[in-house]
Formats: sequence, structure tokens, C-alpha cells
Amino acid sequence: MSTLTFATINEADVSAARKRYPQAFGNPLVRALKIGSWVFIAVYLAWSLHVFEIGKLLNASDRAWQLVSRMVVWQDMATWQYANIYRGIAQTIAMAFLGTLLGTIFALMWAFFAARNTMPVGIIRHAVRRLLDIFRGIDAVVWGLVFVRAVGLGPLAGVLAIWISDMGNLAKLYSEAIENIDRKQVEGVRATGADTGRIIRYGYLPQILPVFISLSLYSFESSTRSATILGLVGAGGIGMIIIERFRAGLFDQVAFVVLNVLVVIAIIDWGSGLIRKRFIGERGH
Amino acid sequence: MLEFKALTKQFKNTVAVKPATFTIPDGQMVGIIGRSGAGKSTLLRMINRLNEPSGGQMLFQGRDITALKGRDLREWRNECAMVFQQFNLVGRLNVLTNVMSGRLFHHNFFSSMAGVFSEKERAFAIRALDRLGMAHVALQQTDTLSGGQMQRVAIARALVQEPRIMLADEPIASLDPLNAKVVMDALRAINQQDGLTVICNLHTLDTARQYCDRIIGMQEGVIVFDGTPKELTDKAAREIYGAEAEDAFSEAMTSTALRPGAQRAQPEVRVVN
Amino acid sequence: MASITTNTPANGSDKDPVSLFESHRRQMIRDRMVVNVTLGVLFIAFLLWSAWISRFTPDRLAAGLPRIMEYFGSVMPSLQWDVLFESRDEAGRFPPGSLGFWYNDFWKYIRLIWETIRMALTATLIGTGLAVILAFLAARNTTPAHWVGVAARRFLEFCRGVPEILFALVLVFAVGIGPLAGVIAIVIHATGALGKLSSEVVENASMRPVDGIKAVGGNWFEQMRYGILPQVMPNYTSYALWRFEINVRASAVVGFVGAGGIGAELSHVISFYSDDRVTAVLILIVLTVTMIDLLSERLRHALIGKESLK
Ligand SMILES: Nc1ncnc2c1ncn2[C@@H]1O[C@H](COP(=O)(O)OP(=O)(O)OP(=O)(O)O)[C@@H](O)[C@H]1O
Ligand SMILES: [Mg+2]
Repeated sequence: MSTLTFATINEADVSAARKRYPQAFGNPLVRALKIGSWVFIAVYLAWSLHVFEIGKLLNASDRAWQLVSRMVVWQDMATWQYANIYRGIAQTIAMAFLGTLLGTIFALMWAFFAARNTMPVGIIRHAVRRLLDIFRGIDAVVWGLVFVRAVGLGPLAGVLAIWISDMGNLAKLYSEAIENIDRKQVEGVRATGADTGRIIRYGYLPQILPVFISLSLYSFESSTRSATILGLVGAGGIGMIIIERFRAGLFDQVAFVVLNVLVVIAIIDWGSGLIRKRFIGERGH
Repeated sequence: MLEFKALTKQFKNTVAVKPATFTIPDGQMVGIIGRSGAGKSTLLRMINRLNEPSGGQMLFQGRDITALKGRDLREWRNECAMVFQQFNLVGRLNVLTNVMSGRLFHHNFFSSMAGVFSEKERAFAIRALDRLGMAHVALQQTDTLSGGQMQRVAIARALVQEPRIMLADEPIASLDPLNAKVVMDALRAINQQDGLTVICNLHTLDTARQYCDRIIGMQEGVIVFDGTPKELTDKAAREIYGAEAEDAFSEAMTSTALRPGAQRAQPEVRVVN
Repeated sequence: MASITTNTPANGSDKDPVSLFESHRRQMIRDRMVVNVTLGVLFIAFLLWSAWISRFTPDRLAAGLPRIMEYFGSVMPSLQWDVLFESRDEAGRFPPGSLGFWYNDFWKYIRLIWETIRMALTATLIGTGLAVILAFLAARNTTPAHWVGVAARRFLEFCRGVPEILFALVLVFAVGIGPLAGVIAIVIHATGALGKLSSEVVENASMRPVDGIKAVGGNWFEQMRYGILPQVMPNYTSYALWRFEINVRASAVVGFVGAGGIGAELSHVISFYSDDRVTAVLILIVLTVTMIDLLSERLRHALIGKESLK
């Protein structure tokens, strides 16, 4: 062994090392592929931003500046009709709550038809799953727009929209929870000579109930988020106030409303986290 | 020459290292011993400034190390390589890349972000691995290696830094006796053949005695012993270790002595060499 | 018969473990009853309040249901088997009842869906890139300075808290109608959501490799690139794929406020015609979303599978 310095490494050392450990010097094909994929991503991004007219950003500075400055300077705060704002927020929460509750109730029914271990008939199971895919695959806002067309402007359309999209989401998650059930615990209850009712009560429910409650709480959180924007299409809640005042150019009020909504959502997340921890423990979800 | 002038380290409510003043000449192999919590790691990590000293000064070849910032600080860290107890390698990268990461200081921003290493660096890294008998696993993912292998890879990484000082924080505490011997032999070889200063935290007395030119004993942040292995008598060692003396004397698990007869029940000091 | 003996003194009835247990049990049941009843009352009160404030009453629902049925009836395509696959006649029109009639604007929809997917892809790529950087700034263990961490976390929370469509609304005002506003809106929201998740992954990563890179003289970027990134990369990839699924849904909706993609067309057909064009567009959207979900799920499982083999 002799001391080794980087400066004394020469061509001969490199080729000797390459001879002994050819792979250590990288496979040119792999390297080309790697570089190629980065180049591809870069080219794709450049091209797509070009197609999306990124240049518009340069001309936007005037309007953007105007928008931002009017959002931060709050004027005539006495005339902001706070009662309307807070009623809108309350309505948003109410819509989310009702929608999630109804969604939960109906998802319970669907879930047993979509789970492999409770619905052995493949055709029915697949049909139910595809139907659920439709409920889930369409965004709550789209459902909102559809229901606004069907039952008119207002929170009813919003509740229906949350109901149907939560139903799709929850039914899928519930059915997965049912499929993941631990058979051994059920066997244990059955082994005590329990009848069907008791097997469900003591074998299934204790396993799935905490998971279900936790999923529904999560769903309530995300529904409050989607309920805030349902109003943009006229389906009730704070979104209607946001879009009205935005269209009227009252950007300072929009900023105020959005800030309030963020705070309320943070509070709801925090509260639902507390409930989850208190009643379900960390394990459920 | 590495000079310490009243170097101290205070954490929120503990003084880990009380003002320490001593000098380490170039090319010495120093072992730092002391019971757990004595401040060995803190002292060592202050040298390459992984821990910021809270007072005092360090000088290397007359240059103030304690005042370094930014690129100068990183250059200093590059000059004094460190080997850790838990190896601190990047488990998901392969061995070669881990070793080559020892040269990151010499890279510019783009080549290091892109992970491009030159052929010269590859050859150098392979030579360093070869020196520790690890070249055959160069392309293996690092977290598939055994502890002893990882520590040798870590030493190889330290070597490609071309350091002037090598710091080792309990390099053998997680290894079995055979691997511990291999690693300590490697550090000793680096010290003797390359003339590097090696400063090494150890927690077994016989290892320190066997490998080091000089032993520094710490107790509750204070340097209570500084001398040659010969001067470290049984009595002096007991003072350093206090109640834990018996463990330190006989901790055959990770000692490098490799004596089948060594048992906890025999607290006598084994003089090696 | 088997019997269970206890070492209870026969006289001390209050110290009898069975009766002790029984009284304890009764107390517990009583406590739990109180909690449950309180919760039940609160729940019902909240329910009634919700129904009142959103004017969601059974009679309104009952009045609405027939209208929903009627509406869904009107948007269903009226397909007739005998002309189903009929092509254009001499005048260049599809006969009513044929698929061609239903999907008269098929290629327009496909073009818009393609744009929607591209918007989602572009936004996911940019959003992931930004999120990776911000996650390192935001994670408590890797942030270069305390205030940077706090600022980055607040910023990510804001980006995540505001829905895409609201950003889109504002951006359409600023940069004009078109997909650019949508892409930027989705980038912002996706950065927030991914950044938050990623910073949590970073906070759970081992700091040992970072110390290692620090000790060889690596700067902050190198510490992140070599110390953390290899640890979190598999998670990032799977999050990015999962975010892509969500972004596809989002980019199908931002068109409602004029921010490009199929959304504008969807909003147009729903608002102006209640006929089979609504289902035509909806079916295409559902198909796209489901297909992308399936594909990305496959990919994610392949990635995770590969990881677990290692
Ligand atoms: N980051 C820290 N924050 C607060 N106190 C610390 C920190 N690191 C070390 N300490 C304290 O400093 C003292 C010295 O610790 P140090 O790790 O240097 O001991 P050591 O001699 O290396 O012990 P061991 O043999 O267990 O590694 C201990 O009391 C320890 O609790
Ligand atoms: Mg230590």
C-alpha cells in the first residue's frame, strides 16, 4: 500500500480501473437514457408552456399588480355585510355536514355490495363498483352544476352534490375496509357459538366501525373544502358570496372572505383530528 | 499542528466540554476515552464544526478554525474527514457513489446536483475502496452491506477527501471484534503510511492502548488525563471511568483484542504490545 | 362442575372483588351513557341547525327529486339500435339515434380532454419540482434557518388551503382566459399539497447521511441532494403520481371559470343545453379519469413492489 493522491491519478490508472470494474464507469446506454428522459421532460415543459402561452404572464403584471394591491388594501370595511359572509360560511359547513352524513348512510349500503367478501356475485359487485366510479369520477363541482340545473340555485344543489360524490368516495373506501377485515376475529366470535347478529355485532363491527367513523370524518374535512367552491357554480354556501363580490371587483372583500374560510377550515381539521384521536385512537383510518 | 485554546461547548443546561487547552502535533494518533456523556463526541464534532464551539479557539497550522464561515468552513471540513459510529452513509446510493461523495467539495453546483463524477474520480474511489479491500462491492447498494463493510466504505469516503486530519467518533462501537480490528488496523495504517493525524473516540481501553500514540481521558467535560499508553496506569484509568471502570476494562464485545478468554469477571488491565 | 375460588374474606361484602367489579362496571356504563347521550344530543342539534341554515327540508328534497329524475331523463341519449352505427347522410349529418349523432362533437371533446391531460401533466411536473425544494425549506430538520422554515410552512399551508378553482378565478382575471391560468392555479395548489406531504416525509428521514455529507464539506444543496433525496425519492414518486390523478380532475374543472381544458365545454353544455351532450362530455371525463387512475395505480404499485423487493 502506498499513499494515494487524486492528482497522481492518470490515464493508465483510469483504464486499469475500467478494465477491472467496467460497470463502475457507467453504462453509456443507461446514461443516454437518463439524460434523454431529462431532456424529454425539459422539452415537453418548454413546449407545453409555449402552447399554453406562457408569454401572457409578461403582459399580466399590470392587472396582477392592480389585483394584489386591491386585495391587501381593505376599504370601507363598515359596508362589508358581515352577516351575509358568516351566514355563507355557516351554510357551507351545514352543506358539508348534511352531504357527508347522507353520503355516509348511503355508502354503508353500497359498500357491502362492492366488497368481495360480502358480495360473492361478481357481476353485481363489478356493476356496483363501476357505478361508484362514476360518482367518484365526476368532481363535486360538476355535480353541483348538474344539480343546479336540475333543482335550481341554492344550497340544496350543494348538499346533493356533496352527498353523491362522498357516497362514491366513501363506498369505495368502506368496501376496502370490509375486505381488509381480520377473519380470525370473526372466527373467534363464531367459535363461541354466536348467532349471525352477534357475529356481526362482535366480530365485524368492532373492526370496521372505527375505520368507518374515521373515514367519514376525513370526508367531512374534505367536503368543507369542496363546499366552499360549490358556490362558484351557484350551489350555495360561501362560494356564491366569493364569486359575486369578485365579479363586482370587490377584491379586498374576497381576500377577507377567503382568509376567514381558511381559518374555519383549519379549525374544522383540528376539531375533527381531536375527535378522531379521542374516540378512535391513532390506529383507525 | 492542531491547537486548542480554552475550547468550550455549552448546551442549554449542560456544559459538555469545559475549557480545554492542548495541542496535537501532525501525524499523531490520538485516542480519546471517557465514560458515556463525558463529552468525547462533542469535542470531536467541534473540531470539524459539526458542533459550534461556544467559546475558545482552535488553530490548525496557525489558522483560526473557529472563525471559518461558508466556503472556508466547508473547505476545512473537507480537510478533516470524519468517520462516524453509525457510518452515516447514504444507504440508498451505491457504494461507489458514497465514496465519490467525499469529493463533493471540489464540484461545482451543477455537477454535484446532477450527480456527475469524472472518470478520474471513479478510478480514485475504486483505488480507495481497494485499499480497504472493498472494491468488489463498489456497485452494491450501500444498505445491503454489513456494519464492518460500511465502516470501511466510510473510511474510503474519508480517504478520497485527501484529508490532513481524520476524526473517528467511536468507529468500532457498532462492530464485532473481527471487524473492529480490521477498521482499527486501517486507521492505524492511514496514520502511519499517509502521515495523517488521527483523532479517535474509543470506549475500550485495550483498543486505545494498542493503537494510539497518545491517550486523552475525559470526565464530565474536563480533560483529566493526557499521556502515552504507558502512562495510563490501571489506577489512572479507574479515575477516568469511575463507576463504569469494570465495563470499560472488559468490554470484550467490541474490543479489538480478540481474546477468547476475555471475560467480564476479569477486570485486570491487559497490556497489549 | 368447575368452580372458581377467590381469596376473599367472606364477611367483607364491600371488598368482594365481584361486587367491586360490578359497581365499577356500572359506574363505567353510566359514564359512557352520559357521554353518548351528550354526543347524540349535540349531533341532533347540529343536524337540525344544518338543515335549517341550508334550508334542506324533506319537502324541498321531495320536490327536488322528481326534477332530478326529469333532468337525468332529458340528458340521456336516445339511441336507436337500427341506426346506431349509421354514418353521415348525403347532407353530412348523422341520423338522430345514432352514436355519431350523440357524439357529433367527438373530436372537439377529445382535443379538449387532451388539453386537460396536458395541463395536469405540466402542472404536476412543475408542482412536484417546486414542492421538492419547498419541502426541504419547510421541514424542521433540514430548514436552513428557523424563519425560513416557518415562512415556507405558512406559504405551503396557504397554497394548499385555497382550492385550485379559486386561484384559477383570480388568475383568469390576471392573465386572461385560457389554460395558462388553469395550469398556474393547479401548480400553486399542488405545490402546497405535495410540499406539505413531502416535508413530513423529510422530517421522518434519517439525518445521519446528512451529517455524513456535511462532514465531507458539502453545502446545504449537496446535503439535501445526497443525504435526504435518495431516502425520500420513492415516496415522492408515488405522491407525484397520485397528485397527477387529482390534478386531472382539477384541470377538468378549472375551465368552469375560463381556465382551459374540458371544463369550459362541460359548463357550457350543462348551462345552455339540457340534452344528451351533457352525458356525452361527462362519460368522456369519467372514462379519462378512471383510466388515468388505473394506470397510475399500476405504476405506483410497480414502484412500491420494486422497493419492497430491495
Ligand atoms: N445536542 C445536544 N443538546 C443538548 N445536550 C447535548 C447534546 N449533545 C450532547 N449533549 C450533552 O453533552 C454531554 C456530552 O455528550 P457527548 O455526546 O459528547 O458524550 P460522549 O462522551 O460522546 O458519550 P458517549 O460515549 O455516550 O457517546 C452529555 O451530557 C450530553 O447529554
Ligand atoms: Mg459519543
